[in-house]
Amino acid sequence: MSYINNMLDRELKKGSAELLILSLVETRPRHGYEISKLIDARSDGVLKFNVASLYPLLYRLEKRGWIQGRWVEKAGQRRRRYYKLTREGRKVLAAQRSGWEEFVAAINRITGAERA
Amino acid sequence: MPDWKPDIRKRLATLQLEPTRESEIVEELASHLEDRYQELRATGVSDAEAYLVAQDELSTQLLVRELNRIERRFGSEPIALGARRRNMLGNLWQDTRFGLRLIRKSPGFSAVVIITLAVGIGANTAIFSVVNSVMLRSLPFKDPDRLVRLNESNPGRGWPTFAVSHPNFLDWRERNQSFAALAATAPASGNVGTAGEVEVVRGSAVTVDFLTVLGTSPLLGRNFLPEEDKPGGNNQVVILTYGSWQKRFAGDPQVIGKTLTLNDSPYTVIGVLPQSFAWASSSNFEILLPLAPDPQRPRADHRLLVIGKLKDGVKIEQAFADMNGIASQLAEQFPDSNSGWSVSGQNFYDWLIPEEIRRSLLIFLGAVGFVLLIACSNVANLMLAKANARQREISIRIALGASRLRIASQLLVESLSLALISGIAGLAVAHFAMKALKAMNPGDVPRLDELSMDGRVLGFSLLISLLTGVLFGLAPSIHAARTNINEMLKEGGRSIGGGKLRQRVRSSLVTIEVALSVALLVSAGLLLRSFWRLQDVNPGFKTDRLLTMRVNLPRNRYPENARAWDFYKRFLEEGTASPGVEAVAVSSGVPLGGGNTATQIQVEGRAPEAEGNKPSADWRIISPGYFRAMGIPLRGRDFDERDTQDAPPVTIISEEMARRYWPGEDPIGKPVTLFSFGGKTSTVIGVVGDVRSIGLDSDPRPMVYVSTKIAALWNPMNLVIRTSGEPTSHASAIRSTLSQIDPNIPVYEVRSMDDLLSSTLGSRRFTMFLLGVFAGVALLLACVGLFGVMAYLVSQRTHEIGVRLALGARPKDVFRLIIGHGMSLAAVGSVIGLAGAWSIGRFLETLLYQVKPTDAITLASAPVVLLSVAAVACYVPARRAMRVDPMLALRYE
Repeated sequence: MSYINNMLDRELKKGSAELLILSLVETRPRHGYEISKLIDARSDGVLKFNVASLYPLLYRLEKRGWIQGRWVEKAGQRRRRYYKLTREGRKVLAAQRSGWEEFVAAINRITGAERA
Repeated sequence: MPDWKPDIRKRLATLQLEPTRESEIVEELASHLEDRYQELRATGVSDAEAYLVAQDELSTQLLVRELNRIERRFGSEPIALGARRRNMLGNLWQDTRFGLRLIRKSPGFSAVVIITLAVGIGANTAIFSVVNSVMLRSLPFKDPDRLVRLNESNPGRGWPTFAVSHPNFLDWRERNQSFAALAATAPASGNVGTAGEVEVVRGSAVTVDFLTVLGTSPLLGRNFLPEEDKPGGNNQVVILTYGSWQKRFAGDPQVIGKTLTLNDSPYTVIGVLPQSFAWASSSNFEILLPLAPDPQRPRADHRLLVIGKLKDGVKIEQAFADMNGIASQLAEQFPDSNSGWSVSGQNFYDWLIPEEIRRSLLIFLGAVGFVLLIACSNVANLMLAKANARQREISIRIALGASRLRIASQLLVESLSLALISGIAGLAVAHFAMKALKAMNPGDVPRLDELSMDGRVLGFSLLISLLTGVLFGLAPSIHAARTNINEMLKEGGRSIGGGKLRQRVRSSLVTIEVALSVALLVSAGLLLRSFWRLQDVNPGFKTDRLLTMRVNLPRNRYPENARAWDFYKRFLEEGTASPGVEAVAVSSGVPLGGGNTATQIQVEGRAPEAEGNKPSADWRIISPGYFRAMGIPLRGRDFDERDTQDAPPVTIISEEMARRYWPGEDPIGKPVTLFSFGGKTSTVIGVVGDVRSIGLDSDPRPMVYVSTKIAALWNPMNLVIRTSGEPTSHASAIRSTLSQIDPNIPVYEVRSMDDLLSSTLGSRRFTMFLLGVFAGVALLLACVGLFGVMAYLVSQRTHEIGVRLALGARPKDVFRLIIGHGMSLAAVGSVIGLAGAWSIGRFLETLLYQVKPTDAITLASAPVVLLSVAAVACYVPARRAMRVDPMLALRYE
């Protein structure tokens, strides 16, 4: 049982982490630190990303062509790498978002029915 | 503010990422940690604590594991170009790209290499294309391996290949067991057209099986019929070549049955040959006529060229055994005419592409190969020098894990890329070289005008390009593989230990170049000396201001001797009268004009020779005044009005004839029997100087002259005109004189004797010129190579020279040191080259004239030429060495 749990947990996390990042760069480009801060803040500290897994994930998404990173230098600041959503990423985001919503609805139906 | 980067870099080290990628990741992570650190400090955490927290949040284990998945999975180039990878094709592609990048990066170096090799490859391709079209392409006939040319042979009289007589041919055709078909042919030129627009065309009279032997059948109409091929049959029929059909009948499909006026008689067109018919290449070859071999003609009258197609499975040796059996039967049956005669011949390939030409072509190929070898050595030297400069880069790559094999193969791929680019450039060079070769065509190289690039030529140039790449790329590659990285890195890129071996390789390459050049110089020198010798040969007559042309008197309008002589007599009278003409004459053959006529003779008072060794002499029919017009010295009297057909026959002989048959006697007044002229006994009335009538390089043979007045029916006849000015400018005046005598007699082959002379020297000039060019290019390349090596040596030894100068050596000594070094390389190369020239000399022997392959003057001058040019090549580097500033040189340390 614990094996299945672990696997489900990992898949969930991976899938949802991708969704989170894609959602966060949907409206405008953001750098890695900003993304991690936003996840932390918007989930009220429930979700936390280790820096050691955040960046590899960004690289993975970039390699898949869903997001695109670019070094940007702003006045008075050191240069940072900003990630923006690509056209393909936007499609993936839409698909994942509806998938996620279906998934959550299904879970809700099951867990809600038990409770009722 | 803490510096995060070294720490992060350390954590990533095990990943062995590509350097640029690694530094990008390091920067991004450092930026994150810095943000985190600043944030913590803003909340009041102490600097040290903030630092620890931020650092702690970056889990090395997790980071390495995650990055490992991503960065490895999506791969990148290995850190060190040449590190072990499994993908061979990938390696090759990577190396090629790297090679091309390097070629672009140093355009000057690449240009020198590419130009040098392109010249070498281009020259080789061009010469190979000649070899290909002359020797390798199959002959344009069906079953060329079964085609044989046959001739009669009388070695006893010095006639190894002689034409065949009509009755003998008929007996051969009837009795042989070996040939599927046997055909005879004789040249047949004639005058085509009617009054005013007469033109001379060439053609062949052929027997009925001629087209069968060659495996051709008419495009339109039919072949000759057996009854058209018999004396007294309907012989007034003609088969046209494709060109003639187009030209004279505008390709009319209804041409069969129409009439062609030939020598003033109507001939019925019975067939048209296909365009591919390749018997004769000359553009005015237009007609085939029936030959009609005549069994009644004398067996001693040899006129025909015989060709045959072997029966399937019959070997050429068997066929000749068969034919010689027939020849000995005939010799028994007709001992007077046939004893001493046998049958010889060769297959079409050996006949049409003579041994001599094949030999010169192979010599060219060898010589041009030498040039390419020299070019390769030069490029190898350049590559070695460049590899030296890259030594440090290579050492570092090996230290970083590149495999030596990969490095070596990568250098090889680089060389191959260069070689292939040069190969493409070489094709352009070859294209122009081939045009030049065609333009220089000396005339006697068969099929040279068919010169073109085909798959075989392209394949050849690809092959030599690759071979070239391997040749010049191998030395640097092997060196790279052997690099001792510890030494190299310690020395900081300046090689001393490994440099010695390299220097030795470089020196040996230059020595080889010098040796090859000397061998080529000797060869070219020998040919040049032969050519000079030949030009000094006295042809026996005055060649300047002499015009020659030919006429054919058609037999139907000039049926008897008297009519024909009348024509020539009027020409002699009226021709001499035209302005600017000093003398005119008529002859059955002019010296160097090609062809020969010979007769068996009997000298009165000499015991008849053994069978097969009967005395013989060449003969010419000449008009009175011929010797004066030609400038040939005459002792005794010339032919004149007295020598008619009814008068006692007289003859004039050459000095060689006098020497051979009347040694120590005066032949004038002595009798001699000429069998080709009715076997009547003639009296010698004069002796003339020897003339080299066959070619400048063949010794004069015994010659007898007979007056045109008694033999005016010979066709074609040559007219010779000695002019006071440029000879060809008189051609039109002579033409109009002739047309006043008879408007239907066209003249053809109008040429000055100087032209004839120069065309007989044509193939020698061609050979000499080509070898001369190769030798010149070789000399130039070898000296450029020597210059390069010496210049490089000086630059490498600058420090040492500085020390020498600082310790008191005089600049003069340094100069001498460098010159001495260069010249000793050249001297060693020259000695090797002379030894090589000695051994290749025998291949040249057949091309030489009165010069031995071991000719001392040539063998001595080639090294002198080379050493003087080498001295110039060494001079500049030596001057540079002399001017080394000791202070500057030492400061480099």
